[in-house]
Amino acid sequence: MFILLGLLALAMGAGFIGALSGLGGGVFIVPALLIFAHIPMGIAVGASMISVVATSAGASVAFVRDGWTNLRVAMVLECATVTGAVTGAYLAGIVPTWVLELLFALMMLQSAYFTVTKAGDSIVPHCDALAERLRLRGRIPAENGGQEIEYGVVNVPGGAILMVVAGLMSGLLGIGSGALKVMAMDYVMHIPLKVSSATSNFMIGVTAGAGALVFLARGDIATVIAAPVALGVIVGALAGSRVLPRVNVQALRHLFVVILLLIALEMGWRALSGF
Amino acid sequence: MNDRTDNEERILRVWTPIILRTILATAIVILLIGLISMAWQNPGYYVARFHHLQKIGHLQNRESVAALVAASLRGEPRPIMTLGLMVLTLVPLARVAFCFLLFVKERDGIYVAFTAYVLIGLVAGVILGRVG
Repeated sequence: MFILLGLLALAMGAGFIGALSGLGGGVFIVPALLIFAHIPMGIAVGASMISVVATSAGASVAFVRDGWTNLRVAMVLECATVTGAVTGAYLAGIVPTWVLELLFALMMLQSAYFTVTKAGDSIVPHCDALAERLRLRGRIPAENGGQEIEYGVVNVPGGAILMVVAGLMSGLLGIGSGALKVMAMDYVMHIPLKVSSATSNFMIGVTAGAGALVFLARGDIATVIAAPVALGVIVGALAGSRVLPRVNVQALRHLFVVILLLIALEMGWRALSGF
Repeated sequence: MNDRTDNEERILRVWTPIILRTILATAIVILLIGLISMAWQNPGYYVARFHHLQKIGHLQNRESVAALVAASLRGEPRPIMTLGLMVLTLVPLARVAFCFLLFVKERDGIYVAFTAYVLIGLVAGVILGRVG
């Protein structure tokens, strides 16, 4: 009973920090399972992937209802993330553990970089030829409540290549790769940050779902770990989203970066030790 | 806020959240039933299984859906939880299926192709997991 309650608490903590930081529970649940519960990487990845599916299901519904999600951008890019996720989840059963740990460390560094650098929008008013053909243009409300601002989308192939990488990482490491997805949409495709975040949240569930289906079909999900982790992360993420409007996230940003760097160090050290 | 048709608006804002939340709630209830019955019926099994998992790397414990359903109906906690996890993975699948139907209804050929590709990718994942 103590083990079960401990796992639930661990998952709730990861879900809570994931919601506050905007990086999702997956980023924190894998290292938490490795370090505190001494669960092997392969099993932690499977459990985390299920928890990402669970949390993104609730989050994306809210974002879609708020009207920020660009459904067409999501559907185009999901082709890339699902390809990457299925390939990654298949390879997760073959790739040595030290490689997974090294990749995890690199993803933590990328998330830390994104947390530090994410700033304003660089909206482009027009779509390029391919984005125009795919009708990816959208509108967002003006900050002062005035007329809606129309935004264009550019460089779909560049964004799609990064999305394959994001999907691959998601399938290999059991994370949502939200930071990489938002970066690809914001920096490469010039989609406004809030639209990028909402569209990324909409996509994360499908990406993680693709990976989770491979793991489930292969029988690589440890039910006794994944079930309490999924439930704990859902509760933690819900609590985090309730607390979020009342805390100064900007002030916590430095703390999140320190946590991400510590995880990167730990995972990097494990990779070097196992090499 | 994006260029959506009335159909997109209605399906996205009304029906999708209702259906997705229903599937999510069903999965959570099944998981809770499985977890509580495991902790209640045989807590020793949970501890033994946990310690066993700490020692092994990959599981590769393939089970058929029919066998899982049959074991769940007999009230075995672990298959009930596995079934709950399977229902949970239906949430993203259902979301893509909704989008597919939406684009079919709008006769939007390009996006029917995109969503069909994603659906095929998800099914391919299951097949790859079974044979890989």
